Amino acid sequence: MDSSTIIATDRLSLWYGETRALEDVSVEVPDRKVTALIGPSGCGKSTLLRCFNRMNDLLPGCRIGGRVVFHGRNIYENVAYGPRVHGIRDRRELDRIVEWSLRRAALWDEVRDRLSRPAVSLSGGQQQRLCIARTLAVEPEVILMDEPCSALDPIATAKVVGLIDELKKQYCVIIVTHNMQQAARVSDCTGFMYLGRLVEFGETAQVFESPRNELTENYITGRFG
Amino acid sequence: MMDKFHGDLAKLKSGVLGMGLFAEQMLSDAMLALGGSDLDLARDVKERKTRLSEENDALEEEAYQTIALYQPVACDMREVACALKVITSAERIGRYGKDIAGVVLSLGDAQTFDLVTALSLPHMGDLVLSMIDDSLRAYETCDLDRIAHHSERDDVVDSLRQTIFREGITYMMEDPRTITPCMNYLMIARYLERCADHSCKIAEKVHYMVTGERVEVR
Repeated sequence: MDSSTIIATDRLSLWYGETRALEDVSVEVPDRKVTALIGPSGCGKSTLLRCFNRMNDLLPGCRIGGRVVFHGRNIYENVAYGPRVHGIRDRRELDRIVEWSLRRAALWDEVRDRLSRPAVSLSGGQQQRLCIARTLAVEPEVILMDEPCSALDPIATAKVVGLIDELKKQYCVIIVTHNMQQAARVSDCTGFMYLGRLVEFGETAQVFESPRNELTENYITGRFG
Repeated sequence: MMDKFHGDLAKLKSGVLGMGLFAEQMLSDAMLALGGSDLDLARDVKERKTRLSEENDALEEEAYQTIALYQPVACDMREVACALKVITSAERIGRYGKDIAGVVLSLGDAQTFDLVTALSLPHMGDLVLSMIDDSLRAYETCDLDRIAHHSERDDVVDSLRQTIFREGITYMMEDPRTITPCMNYLMIARYLERCADHSCKIAEKVHYMVTGERVEVR
């Protein structure tokens, strides 16, 4: 992949059920240029676009082959991005923030020698912790996590869970997850929502041991949902 | 249609109930052997100990596997927790049945039926067996009415045991030849009282399983 390329696809194919919408598309999209995709209706322009932001992943029956590579920032720049947006330009200050954030995210020891490597070269669990480091870099009061351990193996999950446990000493953490056991393990309070309503909110131990609401009980025990 | 997990849970419950009833039968037959000095029945009860122990181990393993495979929560978790406690109490009840059968065998011809009756052991046995039966049926059906008066029923058993102790001592003082059988009968009264305690323990766990609240039954 050319260094000026920001997104590249390699033999990318996509099927909506039986219908093939993309056929072996290999393209390199340059950074800091405007790229137009043209073609008649139904040719696959929007489908290709949705492969870049992964919106297709949400469609039932959609199957994707090949690869999409996002040439993102390196590890250092990932963490420094937030502080830069907030106006910090001093290199030494940025270095300090990057190291502090990576240490807090329990990632520093694993990446200290390769901060200039692309972030995508990290494993899934490391990328997840890098996301947390990026968040910490701007010193938030509240951290929102949407499925923080999805697609991670048990070891990587344990590291992220351990990290969340550490973070709660200083931050308010709100997690959205489908994983009941994870919710039970990492949280102190649990809220169960159903059809736009907050059905039950209480201490996690109480919710998972003796939920007050029957709907909660039926959901967490897998009787519906 | 029941999913596999809830199918496994139902199977565990049915196994635990089966083991509980098996233990109850051991105690019931031991009391029957005591009342009629039936040595064959006493021997039969003693031999059931192996099956009781095997069932306990198998059900315990099944419960652990359920936890490991499904990590149950809420009412499902309470059901597995209750199952583990019920089998422990059931095994103890069965083993007390075996111990009573052992007393019947060791006394042999020295059995004194008048003493057994005079000491109200059959009556005490009936009270305890009905408590055990109600605990197990409450576990089966989640009907808490069956165990609603367990504390009071246990008090009756406790005071009966005290009475039996007092009366037993009187008999032994009046006629030293009754010392051997009396001492054994006092042990049986103690075993029965412990069985009632285990029935209360089962009742507590059934209450927790059904409501999620811990109560003390004694």
